[in-house]
Amino acid sequence: MANIAEARIRREFKEVVKSEEVAKCHIKVELVNDNYTELRGEIIGPPDTAYDGGKFILEIKIPDTYPFNPPKVKFATKIWHPNISSVTGAICLDILKDQWAAAMTLRTVLLSLQALLATAEPNDPQDAVVAKQYKENQAIFLQTARHWTNVYAGGPHREQVLEQKVEQVKNMGFEEHRARVALSSANWDPERATESLLNS
Amino acid sequence: MSATDGEEAGGASGTSGSAESENAMFECNICLDTARDAVVSMCGHLFCWPCLHTWLETRPNRKTCPVCKAGISKEQVVPIYGRGSTDKKDPREKEMPPRPQGQRSEPEQQGAFPGFGFGDGGFHMSFGIGAFPFGIFASSFNFNNGRPGPPQPGSANHAEEQVLSKVFLFIAAIFMVWLLLA
Repeated sequence: MANIAEARIRREFKEVVKSEEVAKCHIKVELVNDNYTELRGEIIGPPDTAYDGGKFILEIKIPDTYPFNPPKVKFATKIWHPNISSVTGAICLDILKDQWAAAMTLRTVLLSLQALLATAEPNDPQDAVVAKQYKENQAIFLQTARHWTNVYAGGPHREQVLEQKVEQVKNMGFEEHRARVALSSANWDPERATESLLNS
Repeated sequence: MSATDGEEAGGASGTSGSAESENAMFECNICLDTARDAVVSMCGHLFCWPCLHTWLETRPNRKTCPVCKAGISKEQVVPIYGRGSTDKKDPREKEMPPRPQGQRSEPEQQGAFPGFGFGDGGFHMSFGIGAFPFGIFASSFNFNNGRPGPPQPGSANHAEEQVLSKVFLFIAAIFMVWLLLA
C-alpha cells in the first residue's frame, strides 16, 4: 500500500509544481526526504487578512495509507489563529480529519489551509485562548495576528505599540517568545502578562 | 467531475503533450493513474475498482464519493468495459472482491399492444356497486395495467383469494335477496 502513497505523491508533486497557484507564488511544496513521506509546504497569507504577506511553513507527513487517510499537517511557523495551536502548530480543520476524501490532493489541502487563514472558525477552536480573543475582542485579535505574522512569518505590517510592550516585558528578564505569548494571551495588558509569567 | 477536470486540464496543459492530457480524462480519482478495472459511480466519478473498494473499506460507516461526497455504495457503481481492456493481473486485486457486474436490462418493446383480450389469466371478477354495463367495462379494461396478476394456484395467496371471493359472492346473494324482499 505504501507504493500507492508514494506513486500518488509523485504525481501530485508534479501537479502542484505545475499549478497556477505556484506560478503566482501562493503555495509551494518541497521534498524533505527521498521516499516522499515528509514534505514541506508553504503558503502565503491571503491578502486583506491579518496574515497578509506572511510566509507560513507547514510540516506534512504522508501516512502509509495515503490517500485513503489524510496527510498529517501542522504549522511549523508560529501563528495566532483560533483554529491553529499557538504552541504546537496543530491544525483543527475538518478535511484533515473526518471530512477527508481520497480525491483531495496536496494542492487542495494547501489551498484549504490558505482559505482557513482567511475565514477562521472560532466555534470549533484549536486554541481556546485565541478563539476567545477573536470572539470578544476582534480588534486586539487582528493586531496580535498581524504582529505574529510580522515577527514569525516575515509579514510586512509592523505593530509598533505591541513591539514596545514585548520589549518592555523582555527587559524584565523573560524570554522574548514567552513574553509575546503572555502578552497576547492577556490582551496586551502588561501587568496581567507579567503576573502569568511569574506564576508559570 | 468538474472540479478535478479543471485541475487535470490545468495541470496537464503545461509542459506535457496532448497524449497525457487525453489520458487525464480517464485517470482514477484516487490513485491519479489511468483507471484499471474502471468503475464509475452514480455521480459520474471514475475510479479503479481496487482503489474505490479500499476507500469504502477505510470508512465503512460513512460511504461517500471521494470527489463530490455524494452517497455511494459498492452495489451502485457501473463497471466500464473498454474494447482494448486486457486481463492483466494486478497485485492489489488479491483478496479483492470482483468488481460488480453491469446491469443488463431488456430492451423496451415498442409498437405492439401487449395482451389485449381475455387470454392469459389476467381476468378476474371484481364486485362493486355500479351501473351494470360500466361495471363490465371497468373489469374488462384493466388488463396489464401494472397491477400484480392473480397469484399462482396452490399458493397461500390463491387460497385466500378463493375464500374472499366466496365471501363476496355470499354478501352479494344476501343483498339481492334483501332487494327482492324489500
